[in-house]
Amino acid sequence: MKRLSYFFPALIFIYYSLHLVSCTPAACFEETNAYLKASFYINSTKQKLPPDSVTLSGLGQTEKIYNKASGLQPALFPLNSSSSSSTFVIRINGIDDTIEFNHSSFPHLISKECGYSVFHSLEMHTFSQHNIDTILIINRNITTVNEENIRIFY
Amino acid sequence: MRRIYAYFISLLVFLSAAELVAQDTVLFPLKIRLGFDLVGPGMYIYDNDHLSMEGYVSFDKSEKMSFVLEGGYADYRYTQYNYDYQSSGIFTRIGVDFNFLKPEISKGKYWAGLGLRYGLSIYNSMTPTYEQENYWGTFSSSIPESSGTGHFLEAAPGFRTELLRNLSLGWTLRLKFLLSGGGGKDLKPIYLPGYGNGEKITTLGINYYISWSIPYKTKRVITKPVVVEEPDETEEEEVVQQGSGFR
Repeated sequence: MKRLSYFFPALIFIYYSLHLVSCTPAACFEETNAYLKASFYINSTKQKLPPDSVTLSGLGQTEKIYNKASGLQPALFPLNSSSSSSTFVIRINGIDDTIEFNHSSFPHLISKECGYSVFHSLEMHTFSQHNIDTILIINRNITTVNEENIRIFY
Repeated sequence: MRRIYAYFISLLVFLSAAELVAQDTVLFPLKIRLGFDLVGPGMYIYDNDHLSMEGYVSFDKSEKMSFVLEGGYADYRYTQYNYDYQSSGIFTRIGVDFNFLKPEISKGKYWAGLGLRYGLSIYNSMTPTYEQENYWGTFSSSIPESSGTGHFLEAAPGFRTELLRNLSLGWTLRLKFLLSGGGGKDLKPIYLPGYGNGEKITTLGINYYISWSIPYKTKRVITKPVVVEEPDETEEEEVVQQGSGFR
Protein backbone atom coordinates (compact mmCIF):
# COMPACT_ATOMS: atom_id res chain seq x y z
CA MET A 1 0.00 0.00 0.00
CA LYS A 2 2.86 2.38 0.82
CA ARG A 3 4.28 1.73 -2.61
CA LEU A 4 1.11 3.06 -4.13
CA SER A 5 1.58 6.31 -2.25
CA TYR A 6 5.22 6.50 -3.25
CA PHE A 7 4.10 5.99 -6.85
CA PHE A 8 2.56 9.41 -6.60
CA PRO A 9 5.64 11.50 -7.51
CA ALA A 10 5.63 9.91 -10.97
CA LEU A 11 1.95 10.65 -11.29
CA ILE A 12 2.38 14.26 -10.19
CA PHE A 13 5.25 14.72 -12.62
CA ILE A 14 3.02 13.61 -15.47
CA TYR A 15 0.26 15.89 -14.24
CA TYR A 16 2.58 18.91 -13.98
CA SER A 17 3.86 18.19 -17.47
CA LEU A 18 0.34 18.04 -18.85
CA HIS A 19 -0.56 21.21 -16.97
CA LEU A 20 2.41 23.11 -18.35
CA VAL A 21 1.51 21.97 -21.84
CA SER A 22 -2.08 23.10 -21.28
CA CYS A 23 -0.86 26.52 -20.09
CA THR A 24 0.91 27.09 -23.37
CA PRO A 25 -1.46 28.98 -25.67
CA ALA A 26 -2.72 26.48 -28.20
CA ALA A 27 -3.53 27.17 -31.83
CA CYS A 28 -7.04 28.22 -32.75
CA PHE A 29 -8.63 26.23 -35.56
CA GLU A 30 -12.18 27.52 -35.26
CA GLU A 31 -13.97 30.29 -37.14
CA THR A 32 -13.90 33.39 -34.98
CA ASN A 33 -15.71 35.91 -37.19
CA ALA A 34 -19.49 35.99 -37.18
CA TYR A 35 -20.67 36.87 -40.69
CA LEU A 36 -24.13 37.67 -41.90
CA LYS A 37 -24.79 34.98 -44.51
CA ALA A 38 -26.85 36.10 -47.51
CA SER A 39 -28.20 33.86 -50.25
CA PHE A 40 -29.18 35.19 -53.68
CA TYR A 41 -32.49 34.41 -55.35
CA ILE A 42 -33.94 35.36 -58.73
CA ASN A 43 -37.05 37.41 -57.98
CA SER A 44 -39.04 36.36 -61.03
CA THR A 45 -38.65 32.60 -60.52
CA LYS A 46 -37.81 32.57 -56.76
CA GLN A 47 -34.96 30.22 -57.62
CA LYS A 48 -31.77 30.22 -55.62
CA LEU A 49 -29.18 31.42 -58.11
CA PRO A 50 -25.97 33.44 -57.64
CA PRO A 51 -25.58 36.62 -59.73
CA ASP A 52 -23.05 36.71 -62.55
CA SER A 53 -21.08 39.36 -60.71
CA VAL A 54 -21.09 40.70 -57.13
CA THR A 55 -18.99 43.52 -55.75
CA LEU A 56 -19.37 44.30 -52.08
CA SER A 57 -17.78 46.90 -49.84
CA GLY A 58 -18.56 48.68 -46.61
CA LEU A 59 -19.78 52.26 -46.92
CA GLY A 60 -16.77 54.56 -46.57
CA GLN A 61 -14.30 51.68 -46.94
CA THR A 62 -11.85 51.54 -49.79
CA GLU A 63 -11.17 47.83 -49.49
CA LYS A 64 -13.66 45.55 -51.22
CA ILE A 65 -15.04 42.43 -49.60
CA TYR A 66 -15.83 40.88 -52.98
CA ASN A 67 -14.75 42.26 -56.33
CA LYS A 68 -16.78 41.06 -59.32
CA ALA A 69 -17.17 37.68 -57.72
CA SER A 70 -19.07 35.13 -59.75
CA GLY A 71 -20.96 32.09 -58.47
CA LEU A 72 -21.05 33.64 -54.99
CA GLN A 73 -23.44 31.72 -52.77
CA PRO A 74 -23.72 32.77 -49.97
CA ALA A 75 -22.17 36.20 -49.57
CA LEU A 76 -20.62 36.87 -46.18
CA PHE A 77 -21.26 40.36 -44.77
CA PRO A 78 -18.92 41.30 -41.91
CA LEU A 79 -20.89 43.48 -39.52
CA ASN A 80 -19.22 46.36 -37.72
CA SER A 81 -18.83 45.42 -34.04
CA SER A 82 -17.95 49.00 -33.10
CA SER A 83 -21.26 50.33 -34.33
CA SER A 84 -24.94 49.47 -34.04
CA SER A 85 -25.36 49.66 -37.81
CA SER A 86 -23.38 48.43 -40.78
CA THR A 87 -23.92 49.84 -44.28
CA PHE A 88 -22.79 48.08 -47.44
CA VAL A 89 -22.70 49.00 -51.09
CA ILE A 90 -23.49 45.97 -53.19
CA ARG A 91 -23.17 45.88 -56.98
CA ILE A 92 -25.19 43.00 -58.43
CA ASN A 93 -24.63 42.48 -62.14
CA GLY A 94 -23.33 46.03 -62.52
CA ILE A 95 -26.13 47.84 -60.64
CA ASP A 96 -25.41 49.41 -57.24
CA ASP A 97 -27.62 49.10 -54.18
CA THR A 98 -27.13 50.09 -50.56
CA ILE A 99 -28.10 47.91 -47.63
CA GLU A 100 -28.06 49.07 -44.03
CA PHE A 101 -28.31 46.58 -41.17
CA ASN A 102 -29.12 47.67 -37.63
CA HIS A 103 -27.89 45.20 -35.07
CA SER A 104 -26.94 44.70 -31.46
CA SER A 105 -23.60 43.07 -30.68
CA PHE A 106 -22.40 40.98 -27.79
CA PRO A 107 -19.28 38.94 -26.95
CA HIS A 108 -19.27 35.18 -27.23
CA LEU A 109 -16.52 32.86 -26.02
CA ILE A 110 -15.43 30.61 -28.87
CA SER A 111 -12.92 28.64 -26.82
CA LYS A 112 -10.01 29.12 -24.47
CA GLU A 113 -7.67 28.79 -27.47
CA CYS A 114 -9.54 31.19 -29.78
CA GLY A 115 -10.83 33.72 -27.29
CA TYR A 116 -13.90 35.82 -27.95
CA SER A 117 -15.92 36.61 -31.01
CA VAL A 118 -18.63 39.23 -31.36
CA PHE A 119 -22.04 37.87 -32.23
CA HIS A 120 -24.89 40.05 -33.46
CA SER A 121 -28.63 40.13 -33.40
CA LEU A 122 -30.21 41.60 -36.50
CA GLU A 123 -32.85 44.17 -35.61
CA MET A 124 -33.90 45.85 -38.85
CA HIS A 125 -32.63 46.60 -42.31
CA THR A 126 -33.19 49.15 -45.08
CA PHE A 127 -32.09 48.93 -48.69
CA SER A 128 -32.35 50.68 -52.02
CA GLN A 129 -34.25 48.91 -54.80
CA HIS A 130 -32.27 49.52 -57.95
CA ASN A 131 -31.63 45.88 -58.61
CA ILE A 132 -32.73 44.33 -55.31
CA ASP A 133 -36.43 43.63 -55.04
CA THR A 134 -36.76 42.17 -51.55
CA ILE A 135 -34.60 41.13 -48.60
CA LEU A 136 -36.06 38.48 -46.32
CA ILE A 137 -34.67 37.83 -42.86
CA ILE A 138 -34.46 34.09 -42.19
CA ASN A 139 -32.42 34.04 -38.99
CA ARG A 140 -31.66 37.12 -36.91
CA ASN A 141 -28.81 35.50 -34.96
CA ILE A 142 -25.48 36.27 -36.58
CA THR A 143 -23.01 33.69 -35.27
CA THR A 144 -20.12 31.61 -36.51
CA VAL A 145 -22.53 28.80 -37.38
CA ASN A 146 -23.01 28.32 -41.10
CA GLU A 147 -26.69 29.23 -41.28
CA GLU A 148 -28.51 31.41 -43.81
CA ASN A 149 -29.47 34.76 -42.29
CA ILE A 150 -31.06 36.67 -45.17
CA ARG A 151 -32.31 36.08 -48.72
CA ILE A 152 -31.68 38.74 -51.36
CA PHE A 153 -34.12 38.66 -54.26
CA TYR A 154 -32.77 40.48 -57.32
CA MET B 1 -47.91 -34.94 18.13
CA ARG B 2 -44.94 -35.12 20.54
CA ARG B 3 -42.97 -36.92 17.90
CA ILE B 4 -43.64 -34.18 15.42
CA TYR B 5 -42.43 -31.55 17.92
CA ALA B 6 -39.37 -33.63 18.74
CA TYR B 7 -38.60 -34.09 15.07
CA PHE B 8 -39.05 -30.37 14.33
CA ILE B 9 -36.87 -29.26 17.24
CA SER B 10 -34.15 -31.74 16.37
CA LEU B 11 -34.25 -30.48 12.78
CA LEU B 12 -33.78 -26.90 13.97
CA VAL B 13 -30.90 -27.93 16.22
CA PHE B 14 -29.30 -29.78 13.34
CA LEU B 15 -29.64 -26.82 10.97
CA SER B 16 -28.32 -24.33 13.49
CA ALA B 17 -25.44 -26.62 14.32
CA ALA B 18 -24.53 -26.72 10.66
CA GLU B 19 -24.28 -22.93 10.66
CA LEU B 20 -22.28 -22.60 13.81
CA VAL B 21 -19.49 -20.14 13.24
CA ALA B 22 -16.51 -18.87 15.09
CA GLN B 23 -16.29 -15.17 14.33
CA ASP B 24 -12.97 -13.42 13.64
CA THR B 25 -12.98 -9.77 14.59
CA VAL B 26 -10.64 -6.83 14.28
CA LEU B 27 -10.65 -3.62 16.21
CA PHE B 28 -11.09 -0.88 13.64
CA PRO B 29 -10.43 2.74 14.67
CA LEU B 30 -13.01 5.13 13.22
CA LYS B 31 -11.45 8.53 12.63
CA ILE B 32 -12.06 12.14 11.86
CA ARG B 33 -9.52 13.36 9.33
CA LEU B 34 -8.27 16.79 8.39
CA GLY B 35 -6.29 17.07 5.18
CA PHE B 36 -4.55 19.70 3.11
CA ASP B 37 -3.73 19.47 -0.57
CA LEU B 38 -0.13 19.89 -1.66
CA VAL B 39 -0.65 19.89 -5.44
CA GLY B 40 -2.24 23.36 -5.65
CA PRO B 41 0.56 25.20 -3.81
CA GLY B 42 3.11 23.07 -5.70
CA MET B 43 1.56 24.06 -8.99
CA TYR B 44 1.70 27.72 -7.98
CA ILE B 45 5.51 27.50 -7.84
CA TYR B 46 5.51 26.57 -11.52
CA ASP B 47 2.62 28.74 -12.59
CA ASN B 48 2.08 32.00 -10.70
CA ASP B 49 -1.13 32.65 -12.60
CA HIS B 50 -2.92 29.73 -11.02
CA LEU B 51 -3.38 29.40 -7.27
CA SER B 52 -5.56 26.68 -5.83
CA MET B 53 -5.67 25.82 -2.15
CA GLU B 54 -7.94 23.23 -0.68
CA GLY B 55 -8.50 20.94 2.26
CA TYR B 56 -10.97 18.44 3.59
CA VAL B 57 -12.62 17.02 6.65
CA SER B 58 -13.81 13.43 6.69
CA PHE B 59 -15.74 11.43 9.21
CA ASP B 60 -15.71 7.63 9.24
CA LYS B 61 -19.23 6.32 9.45
CA SER B 62 -18.02 2.76 9.30
CA GLU B 63 -14.95 0.80 8.23
CA LYS B 64 -16.24 1.00 4.65
CA MET B 65 -17.65 4.50 4.33
CA SER B 66 -16.75 8.05 5.27
CA PHE B 67 -18.54 11.35 4.88
CA VAL B 68 -16.35 14.02 3.27
CA LEU B 69 -16.53 17.79 3.11
CA GLU B 70 -13.95 19.61 1.00
CA GLY B 71 -13.41 23.29 0.45
CA GLY B 72 -10.97 25.62 -1.19
CA TYR B 73 -10.10 28.85 -2.90
CA ALA B 74 -8.76 29.42 -6.39
CA ASP B 75 -7.39 32.37 -8.28
CA TYR B 76 -6.74 32.08 -12.01
CA ARG B 77 -5.34 34.42 -14.64
CA TYR B 78 -4.88 33.69 -18.30
CA THR B 79 -3.44 35.85 -21.04
CA GLN B 80 -3.44 35.19 -24.73
CA TYR B 81 -2.67 37.32 -27.77
CA ASN B 82 -6.29 38.45 -28.14
CA TYR B 83 -7.67 38.48 -24.58
CA ASP B 84 -6.99 38.51 -20.84
CA TYR B 85 -9.06 36.58 -18.36
CA GLN B 86 -9.34 36.51 -14.57
CA SER B 87 -11.37 34.31 -12.28
CA SER B 88 -11.38 33.76 -8.54
CA GLY B 89 -13.71 32.13 -6.11
CA ILE B 90 -14.43 29.45 -3.58
CA PHE B 91 -15.62 25.92 -3.99
CA THR B 92 -16.90 23.11 -1.87
CA ARG B 93 -17.49 19.42 -2.46
CA ILE B 94 -19.56 17.09 -0.41
CA GLY B 95 -19.78 13.34 -0.70
CA VAL B 96 -18.66 9.95 0.48
CA ASP B 97 -15.55 7.78 0.32
CA PHE B 98 -15.83 4.04 -0.02
CA ASN B 99 -12.96 1.89 1.17
CA PHE B 100 -12.52 -1.21 -0.96
CA LEU B 101 -9.93 -2.74 1.37
CA LYS B 102 -10.94 -5.42 3.86
CA PRO B 103 -10.92 -4.19 7.46
CA GLU B 104 -8.16 -6.62 8.44
CA ILE B 105 -5.96 -5.13 5.68
CA SER B 106 -7.06 -1.54 6.09
CA LYS B 107 -6.87 -1.46 9.91
CA GLY B 108 -7.82 2.21 9.71
CA LYS B 109 -4.37 2.97 8.30
CA TYR B 110 -4.80 2.27 4.60
CA TRP B 111 -7.44 3.37 2.23
CA ALA B 112 -7.91 2.39 -1.39
CA GLY B 113 -11.24 3.19 -2.83
CA LEU B 114 -13.54 5.54 -4.60
CA GLY B 115 -14.98 8.88 -3.61
CA LEU B 116 -18.16 10.36 -5.01
CA ARG B 117 -18.73 14.09 -4.78
CA TYR B 118 -21.09 16.88 -5.63
CA GLY B 119 -19.24 20.15 -6.18
CA LEU B 120 -20.34 23.75 -5.98
CA SER B 121 -18.24 26.63 -7.28
CA ILE B 122 -18.97 30.29 -6.59
CA TYR B 123 -16.77 32.64 -8.54
CA ASN B 124 -16.22 36.09 -10.02
CA SER B 125 -14.75 36.39 -13.48
CA MET B 126 -13.88 39.20 -15.83
CA THR B 127 -12.21 39.81 -19.15
CA PRO B 128 -10.24 43.05 -18.86
CA THR B 129 -9.57 43.16 -22.60
CA TYR B 130 -10.39 41.24 -25.72
CA GLU B 131 -9.76 42.05 -29.34
CA GLN B 132 -11.11 40.94 -32.65
CA GLU B 133 -10.02 41.86 -36.13
CA ASN B 134 -12.35 41.94 -39.10
CA TYR B 135 -13.06 43.94 -42.23
CA TRP B 136 -13.92 47.10 -40.28
CA GLY B 137 -10.69 47.07 -38.29
CA THR B 138 -9.67 45.96 -34.84
CA PHE B 139 -12.46 45.90 -32.31
CA SER B 140 -11.44 45.95 -28.69
CA SER B 141 -13.61 45.83 -25.60
CA SER B 142 -13.90 44.27 -22.14
CA ILE B 143 -16.35 42.20 -20.18
CA PRO B 144 -16.99 43.58 -16.70
CA GLU B 145 -16.75 41.44 -13.58
CA SER B 146 -19.68 39.18 -12.97
CA SER B 147 -20.41 36.41 -10.53
CA GLY B 148 -21.45 32.89 -11.39
CA THR B 149 -22.19 29.54 -9.85
CA GLY B 150 -21.15 26.17 -11.18
CA HIS B 151 -22.23 22.65 -10.27
CA PHE B 152 -20.34 19.44 -10.96
CA LEU B 153 -20.00 15.80 -9.98
CA GLU B 154 -16.84 13.85 -9.34
CA ALA B 155 -15.67 10.27 -9.20
CA ALA B 156 -12.43 10.20 -7.24
CA PRO B 157 -10.44 6.99 -6.95
CA GLY B 158 -7.35 7.11 -4.78
CA PHE B 159 -5.05 5.72 -2.12
CA ARG B 160 -4.03 6.81 1.35
CA THR B 161 -1.37 5.41 3.66
CA GLU B 162 -0.59 6.16 7.27
CA LEU B 163 3.13 6.88 7.40
CA LEU B 164 3.40 8.08 10.98
CA ARG B 165 0.94 7.66 13.81
CA ASN B 166 -2.25 9.43 12.70
CA LEU B 167 -0.41 11.18 9.85
CA SER B 168 -1.27 10.02 6.35
CA LEU B 169 -0.33 10.77 2.79
CA GLY B 170 -2.53 9.94 -0.12
CA TRP B 171 -3.49 10.87 -3.61
CA THR B 172 -6.75 11.17 -5.41
CA LEU B 173 -7.55 11.36 -9.09
CA ARG B 174 -10.61 13.38 -9.91
CA LEU B 175 -12.81 12.70 -12.89
CA LYS B 176 -15.12 15.70 -13.06
CA PHE B 177 -18.41 16.05 -14.86
CA LEU B 178 -19.89 19.51 -15.34
CA LEU B 179 -23.60 19.92 -14.65
CA SER B 180 -23.67 23.67 -15.25
CA GLY B 181 -20.95 26.30 -15.29
CA GLY B 182 -22.89 29.53 -15.21
CA GLY B 183 -22.26 32.42 -17.58
CA GLY B 184 -24.93 31.37 -20.06
CA LYS B 185 -24.25 30.02 -23.53
CA ASP B 186 -22.20 33.03 -24.64
CA LEU B 187 -19.89 33.61 -21.71
CA LYS B 188 -18.99 30.21 -20.37
CA PRO B 189 -16.28 30.48 -17.71
CA ILE B 190 -12.82 29.65 -18.94
CA TYR B 191 -11.94 28.62 -15.41
CA LEU B 192 -14.28 27.33 -12.74
CA PRO B 193 -12.72 27.10 -9.23
CA GLY B 194 -12.61 23.48 -8.09
CA TYR B 195 -13.47 22.21 -11.56
CA GLY B 196 -11.11 23.68 -14.17
CA ASN B 197 -11.99 24.57 -17.74
CA GLY B 198 -15.67 25.51 -17.70
CA GLU B 199 -16.02 25.00 -21.46
CA LYS B 200 -15.42 21.29 -21.15
CA ILE B 201 -18.01 18.80 -19.93
CA THR B 202 -15.34 16.61 -18.33
CA THR B 203 -12.00 17.52 -16.78
CA LEU B 204 -9.34 15.69 -14.84
CA GLY B 205 -7.76 16.73 -11.57
CA ILE B 206 -5.39 15.38 -8.98
CA ASN B 207 -4.75 15.99 -5.32
CA TYR B 208 -2.04 14.88 -2.95
CA TYR B 209 -3.19 15.19 0.60
CA ILE B 210 -1.35 15.24 3.85
CA SER B 211 -3.85 14.27 6.52
CA TRP B 212 -4.02 14.26 10.26
CA SER B 213 -6.51 11.89 11.81
CA ILE B 214 -8.18 11.78 15.18
CA PRO B 215 -9.56 8.38 16.27
CA TYR B 216 -12.90 8.93 17.95
CA LYS B 217 -14.21 5.40 18.37
CA THR B 218 -13.03 1.83 18.04
CA LYS B 219 -15.36 -0.52 16.29
CA ARG B 220 -15.26 -4.30 16.54
CA VAL B 221 -15.62 -5.44 12.97
CA ILE B 222 -16.52 -9.02 12.14
CA THR B 223 -14.21 -10.25 9.44
CA LYS B 224 -14.70 -13.38 7.37
CA PRO B 225 -16.51 -15.88 9.59
CA VAL B 226 -14.96 -19.33 9.93
CA VAL B 227 -17.51 -22.11 9.49
CA VAL B 228 -17.13 -25.01 11.91
CA GLU B 229 -16.67 -28.12 9.86
CA GLU B 230 -19.28 -30.82 10.31
CA PRO B 231 -18.08 -34.32 11.06
CA ASP B 232 -17.76 -36.63 8.06
CA GLU B 233 -20.81 -38.61 7.07
CA THR B 234 -18.86 -41.88 7.28
CA GLU B 235 -17.92 -41.16 10.91
CA GLU B 236 -21.56 -40.35 11.65
CA GLU B 237 -22.69 -43.61 10.13
CA GLU B 238 -20.17 -45.53 12.19
CA VAL B 239 -21.44 -43.91 15.38
CA VAL B 240 -25.01 -44.78 14.44
CA GLN B 241 -24.05 -48.39 13.74
CA GLN B 242 -22.20 -48.63 17.04
CA GLY B 243 -25.20 -47.15 18.83
CA SER B 244 -27.53 -49.62 17.22
CA GLY B 245 -25.28 -52.43 18.40
CA PHE B 246 -26.18 -51.67 22.00
CA ARG B 247 -29.84 -52.21 21.38
